[in-house]
Amino acid sequence: MAKDILTSNFFELFDLPVSYDVDLTKIQQQYMELQKQVHPDKFANGSDQEKRLSMQQTSWINEAQATLKDSVLRASYLLKLKGMDFSLENETTMDAVFLMSQLEMREKMQHVKEQDDPLTALDLMAKEIKNTTDEMMQGFADSYQTEKFDDAREWIRKLQFLKKAKSEVNTLMADIEDELMR
Amino acid sequence: MALIQIAEPGESTTAHQHRLAVGIDLGTTNSLVASVRSGDVNTLPDPDGQHLLPSVVHYGEDGVAVGAKAQQFSITDPLNTIVSVKRFMGRGIEDIASKDAHYSYDFAETESTVPRIKTRTGDVSAIEVSAEILKTLKRRAVETLGDELNGAVITVPAYFDDAQRQATKDAAKLADIKVLRLLNEPTAAAVAYGLDTGNEGVIAVYDLGGGTFDISILRLNKGVFEVLATGGDSSLGGDDFDYEIAQWIIAQANISNTDTAATKRSIMQQARIAKEALAEAESIEINIDVEGGQWQGVLDRSVLKELLTPLVKRTLMSCRRALRDADIDKADIKEVVMVGGSTRTLLVREMVAEFFECELLTSIDPDKVVATGAALQADVLAGNKPDDEMLLLDVIPLSLGIETMGGLVEKIIYRNTAIPVAKAQDFTTYKDGQTAMAVHVLQGERELVSDSRSLARFELRGFPPQVAGAARIRVTFQVDADGLLIVSAREENSGVEASIDVKPSYGLSDAEIESMLRESIDFAEDDMHLRSLREQQVDAERVIEALDAALAVDAEQLLSQEERSNIMVARQALVDVKDQNDKEQIKQSIKQLEVVCDEYVARRMNSNIKNAMQGHSIEEYASDSEAEES
Repeated sequence: MAKDILTSNFFELFDLPVSYDVDLTKIQQQYMELQKQVHPDKFANGSDQEKRLSMQQTSWINEAQATLKDSVLRASYLLKLKGMDFSLENETTMDAVFLMSQLEMREKMQHVKEQDDPLTALDLMAKEIKNTTDEMMQGFADSYQTEKFDDAREWIRKLQFLKKAKSEVNTLMADIEDELMR
Repeated sequence: MALIQIAEPGESTTAHQHRLAVGIDLGTTNSLVASVRSGDVNTLPDPDGQHLLPSVVHYGEDGVAVGAKAQQFSITDPLNTIVSVKRFMGRGIEDIASKDAHYSYDFAETESTVPRIKTRTGDVSAIEVSAEILKTLKRRAVETLGDELNGAVITVPAYFDDAQRQATKDAAKLADIKVLRLLNEPTAAAVAYGLDTGNEGVIAVYDLGGGTFDISILRLNKGVFEVLATGGDSSLGGDDFDYEIAQWIIAQANISNTDTAATKRSIMQQARIAKEALAEAESIEINIDVEGGQWQGVLDRSVLKELLTPLVKRTLMSCRRALRDADIDKADIKEVVMVGGSTRTLLVREMVAEFFECELLTSIDPDKVVATGAALQADVLAGNKPDDEMLLLDVIPLSLGIETMGGLVEKIIYRNTAIPVAKAQDFTTYKDGQTAMAVHVLQGERELVSDSRSLARFELRGFPPQVAGAARIRVTFQVDADGLLIVSAREENSGVEASIDVKPSYGLSDAEIESMLRESIDFAEDDMHLRSLREQQVDAERVIEALDAALAVDAEQLLSQEERSNIMVARQALVDVKDQNDKEQIKQSIKQLEVVCDEYVARRMNSNIKNAMQGHSIEEYASDSEAEES
């Protein structure tokens, strides 16, 4: 087994300090450099063993890049490194005000197709979700920075909701596009 | 073992022989083969000077014909002349019935999940028909270039799912072609353009072929082609344009009896001719034989526009989605590369330019651009350009998931994730003493199993019996660089690897492939034995040569005395058997040596990466490679 790549944590792998703030340009550069070393195309004529290793390492690098680039994934990964290995799907926030606002958003989504211009309405919703996400990410960053890890975890629970909402907005957009295509 | 391929950056590898590798565009309507010769990339013509091989196969009284020779029979002998077979790749009989009703073949009753078309020389699957096309292209390459083929890069639509990709790879296996990589067609096109012009930035590739549509959004940077998102429709193309026009002709000419395959084909052919003519002319006269005489009509561009606009709009909706997936603004797209014969249709160009509001690249022949890009990558993959910086990073086009309770799909790998990718999922047992379980893998974006494409059912067996809920079965879904899924499973408490039976939903089982290989005349037994013996011997030599070169470089630093002597013992064992005629023995010895070297190979890769990542800055690389070139 290749010890180094497959056992490095994602930050080490990309030569970054373990922190919520990351240099996205550097991630992209390191990603390219790592790919140039291990990508399966470099071993097209290699042995089965090299091919297998290259595939595993590239998969790990891809996973690392996807995690570091996405703020919510990066945030949960930071907590995981702190030993908080929780399964997000099985946890939920108890914040009643937040849950109400989420319910309202759901309601809006359910009726969006009845509007005159559903795509624009969805664009607006996507923007709203993004703004709330940014605010909450800041909340996470502050809690993490001050080592209030339980608070940080609560932020992630909420961010999970927003992520789900965003993907639902995207699915709705795709549905409407599909209908327009016919 | 190719240990030498990972030589230190800046240090050149031992010069090796030029290996003949080709790029193959296996298209719905036409296929091509291209290769790089003394630095120039060209598509290869047949003896008559034709570069395009029509993707048509005729099963005749006296043998199989491919290409133009087969096309002659398209109307006179339609049931034995297979056209547009790419549409059937990786598809089940019910897909074909619903989507491709305008193709008329006799399908055989079969127990296999792969539909078979009845021909006079027996029933054939789409995979075998495609293999005939590949064999013809392979023969063309070997005859033109006068050398044995090391391997090929074969292109597939980016939107092809796992079953369609696997079918393509199986066809190559039947044609005895080593596949270096399945490459997405839009990526190939970007390579053909990108390298010529030294492009940087974000581009879109709009690829409308005979039967498939693809859109890809790519970022180009210093020889790296990074696919950000891809989308499309694997059953929308120029054939559908022809179909719309044909329907118009049928309505205008009041043709009531279109039941015969010959009539259908002939009207479709007229439609295609009209469509192509309208790329130049404002209007075109159509003459059709109808019952009791001739029908004459005129098709002009405005009617054509009316007929085709809904289809082109469908492609633009896919473009919208791909942009969103890539998280890229339309305004950030610098250029749009136009690929595929159907982008010759003026309406397509107009509507695409209007949508993206930017320049369309059309300078490379849209029929040849994909094969050209594939040939460039094949040359790199064969190892002919060890210093080349080109790297293609692709994504999976459709999400992969598994069936959960209530007929729902749980997504495991999302579409547009960079490949290769691996995801693990833990399962448990629900009965005491349970030692097997089934995992149903699906592909697509929908939530219901019934709306998704079934890829395969994996049966995991042989894990030790425990009480219900105690077992932890970790199933790993690995997608390789060709976009193909590999599933492995392990019971974590005991460490037992589960054995896996794969039941592909729309593919050939290994046994079916094997029996097809046996039947194939190209694989006469003696020949096959001799050839594989020689292959093993060449492999053995390559392994030894690579190992020696690697040891000379870094054995001192990376290996202990004991590890080194273990490797030398295994090396000697291979040297001893390699010139004997026992191919199994050679294979075994290579395997042995590889196992002994496992750790060494891993250390070398890691030490290279370390050197590369820590010893230098990015800037230094740029100056290093410049120095080398001068």
